Amino acid sequence: MLRGVATTLSISILSLLFGLLLGLPLSFLRVYGSRPFQLFVDGFEKIFRGIPELVLMLMFYLGVGLYVRYPFKNAFFTATFVLSLRSAANQAQIFRGAIRGIGEEQMVAARSLGLSRLQSIMYVMIPQVFVFSTPGLGSEYALLVKDSSYSYIIGVLDIMEITDRIRKATMDTVTPYILSAFLYILLTFPIATWLDSWGSRKKKQLGL
Amino acid sequence: MADIVMECRNLWKIYGKIVAVRDVSLQIREGEIKLIFGPSGSGKSTLLRCLAMLTTPTKGDVFLRGECLTKPGVNLNKARAKIGFVFQHIWLFRHLTALGNVELGLRKVLKMPKKEARERAMQALREVRMEKWAHYYPAQLSGGQQQRVGIARALAMDPDIILLDEPTSALDPELTGEVIDTLRDLAKRGTTMLIVSHEMPFAREVAHEMIFFDEGQIIETGPPELFFTNPRSERAKRFMARLIKRTKREE
Repeated sequence: MLRGVATTLSISILSLLFGLLLGLPLSFLRVYGSRPFQLFVDGFEKIFRGIPELVLMLMFYLGVGLYVRYPFKNAFFTATFVLSLRSAANQAQIFRGAIRGIGEEQMVAARSLGLSRLQSIMYVMIPQVFVFSTPGLGSEYALLVKDSSYSYIIGVLDIMEITDRIRKATMDTVTPYILSAFLYILLTFPIATWLDSWGSRKKKQLGL
Repeated sequence: MADIVMECRNLWKIYGKIVAVRDVSLQIREGEIKLIFGPSGSGKSTLLRCLAMLTTPTKGDVFLRGECLTKPGVNLNKARAKIGFVFQHIWLFRHLTALGNVELGLRKVLKMPKKEARERAMQALREVRMEKWAHYYPAQLSGGQQQRVGIARALAMDPDIILLDEPTSALDPELTGEVIDTLRDLAKRGTTMLIVSHEMPFAREVAHEMIFFDEGQIIETGPPELFFTNPRSERAKRFMARLIKRTKREE
């Protein structure tokens, strides 16, 4: 069971991280980029927010995996890959709201000092974007922990798959599910709440 | 004319059908303080932003120490670093302390080493009498204190000129005084400044030249005494009368 917890956590945290690395630049491209970039980001968001994870995972594991065995036949990789892209789409939207909320003024003030556009984004916008995005990032993390359970369909040994195996072995259809439900709450709730309260404290301090 | 710090020639800024700045030319010399005033919405802020190249003028040229900033291929980041800008609504970086706000440009634009940047930033904060508040975030400061940090942020970069866009008009009257005192200090030290302001006693005291601005153009220029005693244009006359009445009421 502990192994399942470790797997679920790894998939979720890795996806959150990769989603961040991809989603953050996408959000800035969406706001400051030229028209083709904006359309590209819009399309990306629509595709990965619109298709169910289950479909995406099977599509990449069975479909793409058929032709590109390495690395898509690795279930752990494919699960993380799919959830990262989905999370990037979600996070791009979260960050975009934050950029709009922070406002053009901060950017103008930064540029007035002689900072380049990229420097202004790095040193002025991004630190504030994170603070601004905390409730959204917290729920995005919770969403990833829950949605990582879909990866049991392609055979990842996460909490869900192990729950299923215990059920099969013991013929008990009640206890394993209660146990896994408890584990999911334990994994999502404290971190999401902590992020949320850190964010509100920081926001109050900074007057955001 | 070697001592001209900033100049614009036949500057226009047009937004769609609205002409915000109409054929404006002006020069500011080393150590000179010019003060622009005029009705709100007359394009004063747009003019200042064009001079700092924060918006691109539609037509005309801007020069900083003889270098044309409006021709293609100019490194505008480098130019902006030499032009201080103080905003009406202050716009401090909210995630940084007062010190952090002043340090950012020194570190990232002028590439100063940490220690040197810190000393220079503290020096600038001392000049606006805010050194005690160096480690406070903007949200923990009063509007007047924030604006003094805003001035320090511009000052620390050691700019050729500072453009100030109504630096006190977003502040309560009781907070205006401390910012005006700071500006008075800068004036005494011979800082080259172009100020948009309606603080008339201050203007009379420090400005070398006043510029009355309306509908995107310069209507009349002259020494403060001219405006306070006998402005030539009818519009300036009316505007001055209103301002003087308001100032008296506030006193």
